[in-house]
Amino acid sequence: MVSTTPPRRTRLLFGVLGVAAILVGWQVLSLVVNPAIMASPADTAKALANLVWEGTLWIQLLITLKRLVIGLAIGAAVGLIVGVLAGLEPRLRSFLEPLRWTGMTIPAVIIAVLAMLWFGLGDVSVIFLVAVIVMPSMYVNTMAGVMAIDPRLVEMGNVYHFSRRLLLTEVYLPGIGSPVMAGLTLAAGIAVRAVVLGEVLGAMNGIGHAFSRAMSYLETPELFAWVVVLLALMGVIELGLLRPLKKRAMRWKKVGE
Amino acid sequence: MITFEHVTKTFDTLKVLDDLNLEVADNQIVAVVGPSGVGKTTILKLITGIILPDEGRVAVAEGAVGYVFQEPRLLPWRTALDNVAAPLRAQRMDKMGARKVAARWLARVGLQGFERYYPAELSGGMAQRVSIARAFAAEPRILLMDEPFSNVDVALKGSLIAILQTIIKERDATVVYVTHELTEALRLADRILELTPDHRLRELDLSDRSAVAREWLAATLGSLEA
Repeated sequence: MVSTTPPRRTRLLFGVLGVAAILVGWQVLSLVVNPAIMASPADTAKALANLVWEGTLWIQLLITLKRLVIGLAIGAAVGLIVGVLAGLEPRLRSFLEPLRWTGMTIPAVIIAVLAMLWFGLGDVSVIFLVAVIVMPSMYVNTMAGVMAIDPRLVEMGNVYHFSRRLLLTEVYLPGIGSPVMAGLTLAAGIAVRAVVLGEVLGAMNGIGHAFSRAMSYLETPELFAWVVVLLALMGVIELGLLRPLKKRAMRWKKVGE
Repeated sequence: MITFEHVTKTFDTLKVLDDLNLEVADNQIVAVVGPSGVGKTTILKLITGIILPDEGRVAVAEGAVGYVFQEPRLLPWRTALDNVAAPLRAQRMDKMGARKVAARWLARVGLQGFERYYPAELSGGMAQRVSIARAFAAEPRILLMDEPFSNVDVALKGSLIAILQTIIKERDATVVYVTHELTEALRLADRILELTPDHRLRELDLSDRSAVAREWLAATLGSLEA
């Protein structure tokens, strides 16, 4: 059966219906489950409004955002640079394979504990955790992108004596746009989870810490409010930052479709 | 001037060129004809220097090289203008200057107004014209063409050959042109060299081009009948 993509308005309508279904399901659950462990959407909204009104939300959000952005930037940049180099050099690829395997296999909580041991509680250990968690996915996507570049384009560049820099800026970097954006989207999701984990375990502030504190004091509506904040943060990162970036990087592909 | 002296080239275990000698004088248009897989493209790659001979020597006069590939080989993420400008930027020309020159060459091949188009928006023939513009924009002393018309239809082939003939005539460029179609070579080349499957290079006598064409056609038809 062939299915065609429905128009934008229909897709938007079904998206809104999906959100409504989650809210309805949540409301129903909150009616049947003990309110100490399941806050209703209305109580969550009230708690969220309080966090906004008191200013707590903005303070904790900024602290978490700072850690997220720095950790993501470091992890993504290192993953990108090393991924390009490994894509070009098979010996480096083999050399880094055990490290990649370790990075992708080791549970995040172990890295978080080690980071606390090495750097203590606070910014450095959370940023370290985010960067280390993000790196392998960026590395793998970038490397795969470089290896998938059409060798005939590289040959064309060599025929016209492209310098290494020109080969990089005209052939390799634009050519890996799609896998890099996929890696970055994946990395951003992983980074949000990592920053929360890092703050739950190894920080005295930030959304993760506030979430952990709300759980300890059984302030369930506030706990749910922080979950909503995290989801909103992910939404803003994906819709406000990554999608426009992807659209811009891949506009040459769009025009041909 | 391009000189090949006793050049041998092997890929893995496959010997592609064996003791090849070739001399192309400045401003000559030389076609190398022969069936697929006899090493015609290898000759062009040796001239560019992207591959080196296993034995023998290849000497090429100083200067920029333009290359028209069998398929356009355009950067899909760059506009037609920036594709043509790329070799100029490789020659360290600034971006704006390179774009100005590129725009002139696009107009030359009949693509004025298509500067901002991406390769995916162009037809096969238009993309090949961009590739021709790119080859000439670099002001090449040597122009290499690797079966540039093999992927275009007959009508388009005629117009592309006409464009090339005009531009080549105006310029002092040495041209080495590889094809498996002798009729194309007869239209463009001063000299035609036939590369045979046993790695020999034989120069065709072009004093009577029609006779050469007839002989070729008869041989082709003969092989079809057989």
